Amino acid sequence: MQRYEFLDDVADVAFRAYGRDINELFENAAEALESIMISPEDVALKEALTIEITSDTCEDLLYDWLSELLVTFEINSFAIRQCRVTIKGFSLTAECLGDRIDQSKHRLKEEVKAITYHNLEVTKNDRYHAQVTVDV
Amino acid sequence: MTDERLVRRSEYIWDVPRDEALGMRVPGRIFLSETLIKYLEPGAIQQVTNVATLPGILGWSLAMPDVHTGYGFPIGGVAAFDATDGVLSPGGVGFDINCGTRLLATTLHKQEVEDKIQALIAKLFQAVPSGLGSKGRLRFSEKELNQAFLSGAKWAVNQGYGNTSDLKHCESNGCLSGADVSLVSPLAKKRGMPQLGSLGSGNHFLEIQCVDQVFERKAASLFGLKEGQVCIMLHSGSRGAGHQICTDYLKTFLKASHQYAITLPDRQLACVPTDSREGRDYFSAMAAAANYAWANRQIMSFWVRDVIEQEFNTTATLVYDVAHNIAKLERHQIDGEHREVYVHRKGATRAFDKDESYGIAQPVLIPGSMGTASYVLCGTKKAMTMTFGSTCHGAGRVLSRKSARSRLTWKDVTTSLQQKHITIKTEDRAAVPEEAPEAYKPIDEVINVVSKLGISRAVARLTPMGVIKG
Repeated sequence: MQRYEFLDDVADVAFRAYGRDINELFENAAEALESIMISPEDVALKEALTIEITSDTCEDLLYDWLSELLVTFEINSFAIRQCRVTIKGFSLTAECLGDRIDQSKHRLKEEVKAITYHNLEVTKNDRYHAQVTVDV
Repeated sequence: MTDERLVRRSEYIWDVPRDEALGMRVPGRIFLSETLIKYLEPGAIQQVTNVATLPGILGWSLAMPDVHTGYGFPIGGVAAFDATDGVLSPGGVGFDINCGTRLLATTLHKQEVEDKIQALIAKLFQAVPSGLGSKGRLRFSEKELNQAFLSGAKWAVNQGYGNTSDLKHCESNGCLSGADVSLVSPLAKKRGMPQLGSLGSGNHFLEIQCVDQVFERKAASLFGLKEGQVCIMLHSGSRGAGHQICTDYLKTFLKASHQYAITLPDRQLACVPTDSREGRDYFSAMAAAANYAWANRQIMSFWVRDVIEQEFNTTATLVYDVAHNIAKLERHQIDGEHREVYVHRKGATRAFDKDESYGIAQPVLIPGSMGTASYVLCGTKKAMTMTFGSTCHGAGRVLSRKSARSRLTWKDVTTSLQQKHITIKTEDRAAVPEEAPEAYKPIDEVINVVSKLGISRAVARLTPMGVIKG
């Protein structure tokens, strides 16, 4: 199954993520976001990090989750290679594995300014879909 | 084929007539030429329409000729909201609050610099931090950061990064009043602290340019510009601080807009009444981010001047510094009445007919895409009546970053730059095709439209000699 794909968006970078369940959808969206900022294959599974978030709606939870990953990347200089997400209601717990960013071994790809609400949606038919636009 | 939603009013004006069924409170108006309309995306027309539905909007929902789809507002969008009955929308400013340009003029002639351009670019590249994850050369304390949020370029000048006369040559003297650091989140401070004094990446740049044509001799002379002169242009904004402030308030505004019963055609247009607590808080936090950006550009100018002084034993004077992502409280004459309005300029530049910096019309800086010309314009009376004192902000994208990368390589772009004798330096070669001229509309045509419309006048054109791509 395709985990995510990038869309042609003139102004910014947009992607669609997929998942057999909501947890997998959020895991794949995280991978898509990290792959915009860094080459994922360079990131070692070195350190663990737990992230917990509660929001009001499913879309807000996705927005908050991706915003948290962006802040973790920019402020804590921590890139995530793998994560296991568990969602109950509109609360999320993520067990993440990754590495501290070191520009001598990691190639940074794009500076993401923010996650936007533009066309942000989470839908479900035979599987879960999410569409996300980020400002770069 | 022209979109059926558009009605042509004149050679350069296309309207989106007010449609009550869509909730439009005012018509939309897009400034384009026959050449530029080819680039107009249906999404941009939709966004002009969406903005027209927001409460308290006055006149028109406008789009400048460099318009393209953004998120929420279109890029190139201008809208004025009544100061008492209107709204404030972080999506009408953008994440990079006070992204803007600054032009420094040296006393050097092109011929004095041509042979030394490689070395000069290398020195500037060392002096001004740029690129992905770029951090400032200095470490500022939280107290200093708060001062930057409060006083902008004025704080930087007081710290020794420039002259008092620089402030006179900045929009709003490089400082918006009413900034309140208690309304800036700890996260925004954390993101902003290490980045103060850095260019950033993406379309941000530092260019060594040469004035290749003067269109209005008198204005050019007052702005200190003449043919053959070497200038330096900086394009940068409020870095992570501004991005986080916008993110924080978008979240608050989304919840609050429900409370204020505002119907949103797009969540990115989240807005609240101007006189609400949330609205006042955002305006104070936005002012803090705008001030950070002015301090940021002021600090970087200091390093640029330092290099120019070391290399050529001469100085560089600030021509002007202007924002193109901002909301301002201004007075405009609308339907024959003077009204206080919050003008949102998202990818649009203030272009006032009068400005105290030179005692004539306000200078307007329009950066071209990499390898193409940039322009110095000035504001006009017509801009005051047609566009709430606003004009374009650049060339405007036509290709997505993804398409640009798939169509062009670093080699293609650098070969073409070399043919034009332009030196380039960057930390991030892979991203260079994203900023290639082919990814943007023709800047000369954008300038032609704003000039023919009369919302700005061309004063001088500058061509690049060397580029540092952030």
